[in-house]
Amino acid sequence: MSVSAHATESELDALWRARPRSRFVRVSFALFGLLLVGSWFVGDFDFADSFSDTRARNLDRFLDEVRPYPLRAPGPDGTLEPLPWDWGVFGTWAQQRLTDGVSDRDTPGGLESALGTLAISVLAIVLAALASLVFCGFAARTLATPRPFAPHAGPAPWPRRLAWQVVRGATRIVLIVQRSMPEYILAFLLLAMLRTPAWPAVLALAIHNCGILGRLAAETIENADPRPAVALRALGASRTTIALTSIAPAILPRLLTYFFYRWETCVREATVLGILGLASLGWLIDEAQVSGFRYDEMVFFIGLGMVIVLAGDLLSAIARRIVRRAS
Amino acid sequence: MKQPATGFSLDDVSVRFGAHAALRGIDLEVAPGEAVALVGPSGAGKSTLLRVLVGMVRPGAGRARVGGEDLATLTRSALRRARASIGFVHQDLCLVPNVRVARNVLSGRLGSQGLVRSTLGMVFPPRAALDEALAILTRVGIPEKLFERTDTLSGGQQQRVAVARALYQGPAALLADEPVSSVDPARARDTVGLLTRISREEGLTLLMSLHNLELAREFFPRLVGMRAGRIVFDRPSEAITEADFHALYDLDPAEVLADGA
Amino acid sequence: MAPDLRRPFPLGPRGFVLAGLGVAGIWAALYLGLQPSDLTPSTGGLSLARDFFARAFSPALSSEAAYVPDGTPGLLALSLRAAVTTVVYAAAAMSVALVLGIVLGFCASTAWWSGDPLGGRTWFGRTVAPVIYGATRVLIGFMRSVHEVLWAVLFLAAVGLTPLAAVVAIAIPYAGTLAKIFSEMVDEAPREASHALRAAGASGMQQFAFGLVPRALPDMIAYAFYRFECALRSSAVLGFFGYETLGREIEQSFVSTNYGEVWTHLYVLLALVLVFDAWSGRLRARLAR
Repeated sequence: MSVSAHATESELDALWRARPRSRFVRVSFALFGLLLVGSWFVGDFDFADSFSDTRARNLDRFLDEVRPYPLRAPGPDGTLEPLPWDWGVFGTWAQQRLTDGVSDRDTPGGLESALGTLAISVLAIVLAALASLVFCGFAARTLATPRPFAPHAGPAPWPRRLAWQVVRGATRIVLIVQRSMPEYILAFLLLAMLRTPAWPAVLALAIHNCGILGRLAAETIENADPRPAVALRALGASRTTIALTSIAPAILPRLLTYFFYRWETCVREATVLGILGLASLGWLIDEAQVSGFRYDEMVFFIGLGMVIVLAGDLLSAIARRIVRRAS
Repeated sequence: MKQPATGFSLDDVSVRFGAHAALRGIDLEVAPGEAVALVGPSGAGKSTLLRVLVGMVRPGAGRARVGGEDLATLTRSALRRARASIGFVHQDLCLVPNVRVARNVLSGRLGSQGLVRSTLGMVFPPRAALDEALAILTRVGIPEKLFERTDTLSGGQQQRVAVARALYQGPAALLADEPVSSVDPARARDTVGLLTRISREEGLTLLMSLHNLELAREFFPRLVGMRAGRIVFDRPSEAITEADFHALYDLDPAEVLADGA
Repeated sequence: MAPDLRRPFPLGPRGFVLAGLGVAGIWAALYLGLQPSDLTPSTGGLSLARDFFARAFSPALSSEAAYVPDGTPGLLALSLRAAVTTVVYAAAAMSVALVLGIVLGFCASTAWWSGDPLGGRTWFGRTVAPVIYGATRVLIGFMRSVHEVLWAVLFLAAVGLTPLAAVVAIAIPYAGTLAKIFSEMVDEAPREASHALRAAGASGMQQFAFGLVPRALPDMIAYAFYRFECALRSSAVLGFFGYETLGREIEQSFVSTNYGEVWTHLYVLLALVLVFDAWSGRLRARLAR
């Protein structure tokens, strides 16, 4: 909205000049816009190289090699020429991928890895949820204070106030550090220390999502209707009693919704973590590529990953609907 | 934008929402330029009646005419024109809370503009439009709020913004659905007085639903009493009797049990 | 409280979901063959962990490598350069994702064509719009179902290492996610204002643009900022695949057992995310007011 300047200042101009506005918001948008546009000038994006003939030839070759191996045959000049498409051949090949994994490599089958991916994501999100439930109570401003839900009690003595402030601040810092660390980097670091096939992936996902769920849960507690808790408190209920009997049931539906949303992300991430050598689909995807550039198998396993991600989204949508219906 | 006032006519109109009959065989004539108050308890069907008149609810039976035209037979664009010619002040404010007041006022004229023109007008409002919006805000008493964020205004002030949006349409009639249900009695009196004064000055038809029988009697020459989807009385306000009042508000146990609303 | 005998579970459907989660968690642990005892690291892992965490409070300020070639920038300069690259890739990816997300989000929302109680749907709303809607939903699902790292791996295989591919790899799933969330935010925004505009004669598209979108805009902006924060992390991770972002520095320093350097890079990444988080948190509070 803008008003053009006039020679004589009218009431409209005066109002426009006096309009409330936030410099912070304007500067933020300007900076953000500058960041988005400027990145294209600062970055080393070599468009000529990205669209060069070499790249085009690479892409061409890649698209040829994505065709399943049994559906190609050596041609006259030594390259593999596509054979006519045959669902039977493709089916046999696909079945081998599901049971044997990457051909000629000692990997688990695709199906086993897909289930492993799901198992990693489920265990990780359950652990994250359990841990976040402990954290969130100490991070919520309404609960982690010396006199929770007692609006008329007056301020507590300062040492207790300070103690709770320290507890709350420390919990919040732990949560924020947890969620700032990318799962992939956490898994990479943990892998060197644990060397068991699945724990690094599970822990990495659990740590990151505990940070996210913990903050969301703390916000939910802070936004919950305080009246039932205040009433309970007036009857002399303890902090723990209030948390378990008044707050927990009130925030449960919301938390379950967040839980399932985060689980959807966990399935995606669990697929990828296998690239580090962990027991998920990512391992097969990586293995297919490094062991002789079997792009056909790589794309097959990426497709399998899509299937379980979509299945996870569907399951999560159903569960969220059940939770919503129940509330 | 000045248009001649429109009249309304309802001919045996019934509306059902599922099992609940909101309107049962309503007959009502409102002449152009007339000021009429709809009174009655909540759940009487007043809101539904008003919504039928702007084509927001389709009657299950009967005819609703605006300016002599049957709403059910209008083409899409004619329906848009008919709606644009009627200013509607809603019960809950129905403003966009997180934009400046000016945008809410200017959005009143969307109905008479195409998409491209209205988009340009909303993003870069022409000076003339802002001057007009300011003049209307002056009439409703809050000119200084033109560029404030709408949700920073009090409930009464937001009510005035809603009135200003309706007036900015340049309407031929004003409908108001419980415009004062959420403000205190003194503000309520001001707002009802404002709406009746403006529609008298502009020669607009005014149809307002009200809880408060006293206010209705003070400001409107004609009162229509409704209860349980039916018109109970329709007479000049001097002729309203104690018995009419009881007919509207006395509890009938059978009715209370049948319809909790 | 007495259990409600009409329900199969004492807690009702929600209890059913909770019980299902418990069972799923136990199944997962059994399937993976995981035991808490596996959590105690091997002796090698233990000493590595000790060495690694010993440096948490003394990150390196200069290179710890035994041999540093002449002309190599200092560690902090290296880390900052990687941080800038991380931000640049994230920002470039977000600029593409935002444009695509807004366009696809519009196509994937129903509010602008789903009709009017008296006027019904337009011809467009009855025929073309549902097809656009369905096709967009499928496309969004496809874009989202492949993780950005896998898109990057695909592009590496298909065209080789080029920064543009990293940007596109992040942009594809992010655009899908933005489109999904944007469309849901607009479709689920409170409708009163848009109904009032309809009563004043506004068309479906006008109600969408001036009644619903402004209402959802603060949430959409807050979400876009949150996704930018995620993009920073994704961009850092792509360093593990050869791109010059923080992930590459972390991997190289860790593999060379220069743990002090690892902590330096980790702190730089942490600072990047925290600064952005604080900024977007303050902006969100301002917009919501």
